[in-house]
Amino acid sequence: MTDEEAKKAILDTLGGKSGAKTKFYLKDFYKIVPDMKPRDVKNLVNKMVGEGLLEYWSSGSTTLIGLKGAGKQHREED
Amino acid sequence: MGKHKTPMLDELEKGPWPSFVSDIKQQAEKGKQALKDAPDDLLGVMELSYKDKVTHWKHGGIVGVFGYGGGVIGRYCDQPEKFPGVAHFHTMRVNQPASKFYSTKFLRDLCNLWERYGSGLTNMHGSTGDIIFLGTTTDNLERVFYDMTHELNQDLGGSGSNLRTPSCCVGLARCEWACYDTEEACHELTMEYQDELHRPAFPYKFKFKFDGCPNGCVAAIARADMSVIGTWKDDIRIDQAAVKAYVGGEIKPNGGAHAGKDWGKFDIVEEVVRLCPTGCMSWDGSTLKINNRECTRCMHCLNVMPRALRPGTETGASILFGAKAPILEGAQLSTLTIPFIRMEPPFEELKELVNKVWDWWMEEGKNRERLGELIQRESFQKFLEIMELSPDPRMVSEPRSNPYIFWKEEEVEGGWTRDIKDFRAKHQR
Amino acid sequence: MPYDPSDPLKDRITDIGPRYYKEFYPPVIEKNRGKWVYHEIIEPGVLVHVAESGDEVYTVRVGGCRLMSIEHIREICEIADKHCDGYLRFTTRNNIEFMVDAKHKVKPLMDDLKNRKFSGGSNKFPIGGTGACVTNIVHTQGWIHCHTPAIDASGVVKSVMDGIFEDFGQMRLPAQVRVSLACCLNMCGAVHCSDIAILGIHRKPPMVDHEWIDKLCELPLAIAACPTAAIKPAKTAEGLKTLEINHERCMFCGNCFTMCGAMPLADEVGSGVAILVGGKISNRISKPKFSKVVIPFIPNEPPRWETTVKAVKNILTVYASDAKKYERIGEWAARIGWERFFEKTGIPFTHHLIDDYRFAYTTWRQSTQFKF
Repeated sequence: MTDEEAKKAILDTLGGKSGAKTKFYLKDFYKIVPDMKPRDVKNLVNKMVGEGLLEYWSSGSTTLIGLKGAGKQHREED
Repeated sequence: MGKHKTPMLDELEKGPWPSFVSDIKQQAEKGKQALKDAPDDLLGVMELSYKDKVTHWKHGGIVGVFGYGGGVIGRYCDQPEKFPGVAHFHTMRVNQPASKFYSTKFLRDLCNLWERYGSGLTNMHGSTGDIIFLGTTTDNLERVFYDMTHELNQDLGGSGSNLRTPSCCVGLARCEWACYDTEEACHELTMEYQDELHRPAFPYKFKFKFDGCPNGCVAAIARADMSVIGTWKDDIRIDQAAVKAYVGGEIKPNGGAHAGKDWGKFDIVEEVVRLCPTGCMSWDGSTLKINNRECTRCMHCLNVMPRALRPGTETGASILFGAKAPILEGAQLSTLTIPFIRMEPPFEELKELVNKVWDWWMEEGKNRERLGELIQRESFQKFLEIMELSPDPRMVSEPRSNPYIFWKEEEVEGGWTRDIKDFRAKHQR
Repeated sequence: MPYDPSDPLKDRITDIGPRYYKEFYPPVIEKNRGKWVYHEIIEPGVLVHVAESGDEVYTVRVGGCRLMSIEHIREICEIADKHCDGYLRFTTRNNIEFMVDAKHKVKPLMDDLKNRKFSGGSNKFPIGGTGACVTNIVHTQGWIHCHTPAIDASGVVKSVMDGIFEDFGQMRLPAQVRVSLACCLNMCGAVHCSDIAILGIHRKPPMVDHEWIDKLCELPLAIAACPTAAIKPAKTAEGLKTLEINHERCMFCGNCFTMCGAMPLADEVGSGVAILVGGKISNRISKPKFSKVVIPFIPNEPPRWETTVKAVKNILTVYASDAKKYERIGEWAARIGWERFFEKTGIPFTHHLIDDYRFAYTTWRQSTQFKF
């Protein structure tokens, strides 16, 4: 899988979730692109944050990742 | 007179210990911080908490500087109309220099930066070791970061599922017991792993801490997923003349640490020889003997007689893994995994270990599972396999007492596949 | 080029790390680094380190508040400029160390430090924190900045340090006593190996703001945040989506509140202080040890936390009068036996102090050896 394909898979999966959940642990991304190594997934996800496609949500102790701008927390924090 | 009445907090201006309330008031009165009302409103919201006996802060998870997953903790006041000066009050973690020496020039630069964009309040330092900038608005986060990197050549620290800001003891800079260069190791690994420090990489937090000797001034054994603790392999260096000087009362024992009470004349047998946990020392009235092969380097005798006893010269570090505070499975101390490695810059051997540990934990660790919990769940044997290490009795306090050994098929002669027909040939049904 | 908000990524600098520590050494440290021979505490709060070269560095250690204003830091700089060639350091326990390279410079520095008071009368720079003393309390944020604290931090620390102030500036205890405070059991400041730990605990499960929770929070995230899986989806009588908490399973950590502000758990009477004792980190004589819970709950008593201060003082006083030289609190309690610890301190032993979490059995007594 190329980086572009992996990116698309990630965006499709996150965008396709109709449920209420918009934020995911890094490990959840491993499952979206199972043939990539964890380290490569991590690098790709962090790159996608850098490109403005994804964003972090930090509890202080742990970090979740979701589509940029998605989720109810945004309203809370505005 | 401040903006809010704070009769309860004012009680904390009394007494001899430095009063943080007086200090915040001083900032409110004299300070020129960008968030002008922040110190006053912080006192106001604190007073309200003192009255209500509960906090008035809410967490915010989105805020940060662009591209970084760590270094900023989002905080909002739950009474923003009453206390607008602290309505948004985010924390920034600033990566401290190893061992926390400062020039006044740099400290003033930090103060000026924080005056320009923040509340004028800090923590020197936070629990993990960072300089904490306490309280600014979302808009100012990028400004602080820009000026900090451009003008101060200084970066943020870690938070979230990142490598946390590593920390170390004072080390070689001002301690005779440092068995390796804790500051250089701390700085080198901090620089090597900048990506992991700023961007989430792991199932949960990961901490390195570097102690120069088994006294453990930065609590590596209790607080770090990877604890690097200085030690030595050869003999404790003894200056017998100095030992005699301690016995004769010419030098104060324990570096003078017990001088405030009359504990009687120093008794080397009672205070050193008998307290030695391995009983490897003897005193015949003129010579102190140490059976170094039996010594476990607890540091007691060195602490008591620092002018007479010094660590050996074949120095390095013991590496232990897996310490954590109680959440969730219970507190853990780090487990001895590598009794001794040499510690020379650029610490390649150490980095190899780090990479092996991380590869395994990233793959196998559950969400919010610290390394120590993963080792418990998967077994120490599995951990040794991953680390490509051979078992060593130094790794355990005692061998297992239950016989439920999970044998592997390849360890058993002939494997596990057997033919029931062969059995039946000898045994009736 | 100054920061341009319309183009935040322009000229961006990242991943540069901290400043190099060697930039900040006083000359005497730079010269003698790695060549120190021994040290001595010449009086409480004052250390001398002697190098192979014969050089000496005198360190005056003062207690600092972790919470510090930039005005105060500037005053620290002013002192360091006046006496210490413009250098200083902080310790891991929030102490400040002023260093000079000759003995005659110590007294003027100390006199200067002693004369500086806050407007309310407290010392700005109390000297001490060395040797067999109670050194500065490391702590967390508390009500000053945290969203899940069960207690305040700075105020409790101030009150306790006022109460045991004499032992900060003297060295009359059997060994050093490390006191730490964490304002909730998540322990962002780990206190689990301290001689005396002051820990904030909640005792009421979170409330659920049923009317608002689905509007404010992502319910699956709140469910996933619970370390004991005590939260599950539910519906209100009006048919609104909400959450239900299995109260029996709640360990009062507040992780759900971090994810979802509609689940507050702090409470005026439910939240308060627990006291743990007997932990240590050093490998000296005995192995490192965890702290053990000896007082399960003390109510919050702002502004001065009298009962907590009394409890800490009591443990300290009994320990100081009963322990042998060099014995840490945990070593003392292990030697006399915990049954004696409770007898001597007069602290009641309740069922809350018997472990019933993971690995509980390892803390029960499997022996007939005990003391009447």
